[in-house]
Amino acid sequence: MKSVFQTKLGALIAAIATLLIASAAVAAQAQDSKLQLGSLDHLAAKASESVDVNLDGRLMQLASKVFSDQDADEREIKKLVAGLKGIYVKSFEFENDGQYTAADVEAIRAQLRGPGWTRLVNVTSKKEGTVEVYLLMNGDQIGGLAVLAAEDRELTVVNIVGPVDLEKLAKLEGQFGVPDLGIEAPKTKKNDDK
Amino acid sequence: MSTHHFKQVAVVLLIFSFASVVQARGDDFNSVVKMIEQFYGVKHEGVPFLARAGMKAGRTAARIKGGTARQIAEAGSIKLAVFEDQDFNGEFLKFRSTLNAALSETWLPFVQVLGANEQNYIFTRENNDKYNVLFISIEEREATVIQVTLSPKNFARLLKDPEGTGKAIAEEATINDQE
Repeated sequence: MKSVFQTKLGALIAAIATLLIASAAVAAQAQDSKLQLGSLDHLAAKASESVDVNLDGRLMQLASKVFSDQDADEREIKKLVAGLKGIYVKSFEFENDGQYTAADVEAIRAQLRGPGWTRLVNVTSKKEGTVEVYLLMNGDQIGGLAVLAAEDRELTVVNIVGPVDLEKLAKLEGQFGVPDLGIEAPKTKKNDDK
Repeated sequence: MSTHHFKQVAVVLLIFSFASVVQARGDDFNSVVKMIEQFYGVKHEGVPFLARAGMKAGRTAARIKGGTARQIAEAGSIKLAVFEDQDFNGEFLKFRSTLNAALSETWLPFVQVLGANEQNYIFTRENNDKYNVLFISIEEREATVIQVTLSPKNFARLLKDPEGTGKAIAEEATINDQE
């Protein structure tokens, strides 16, 4: 016959196991909009300049702590980053054309063809070349955003993990190492261009 | 092994692992300096030498003690190593991998900028109610490693504008402003 202690211990172990499984599932869901950008790392060897910005979940937590509620500007930034799980930027500038290949870009686009990702076709940018903006929708909620900007001698990928919209992205440009992508104010209509 | 012995071993292991973590946190600056020395076959110059020589870090010794010129870094928090007039030839991607692997346990990589002749890295970590920031800059003929402690206000400033604030901190640590 099991003692009360053994019964409670068994229940505790079961509860811990359930919590671990649940937290792993939540973590997996939160990672959905994080793109794997490591395939672009080799371009740094060819680039005249490469920029790598990593604001992961831990750094985002620090960011949300240090911005003051007293200062209007910082209060705005605090609101912007609240709920975000990460901001990742990879940007490459090259001396000559043809330093990155279609396969390099395709490795990113392939991820953006995954479930939930929608390309916004009505977004424009002041930058030359092509600028593609994608949103990850989890039901009615925005789960993340990605920008793929490709010019002859420049390639930039911005990946924001968590609930963000284009209006917020425009405010983040030039801050946290996010480059100025010249994204124009978004129109409300969305289309799937895939 | 008896329960008593098992407990003793566990306690020793616990103390040892805690000490290792503390040591890793404290020695990362020196580890990075040694890593640069080994990877590139160079030698850094101590701040007292630079101060005596009247070189660009001439004001740094005073600042390390919390001089009046302090603007961004917390008083007494600046650690600085300078490499001058030496060749930094080597695979920068390999160096970046080595650096990231070495610091991944205790630091968060924030910004890394690599150019044909220049590498700049900013790592951060929380330190009680302050923030440690490690800057590593390597050019063709010189390199600088700076570790500072920032207040939350100045850390926010760094997050908002890593390039501008990073430059300001580097200047604060190394440039002789003839005060």
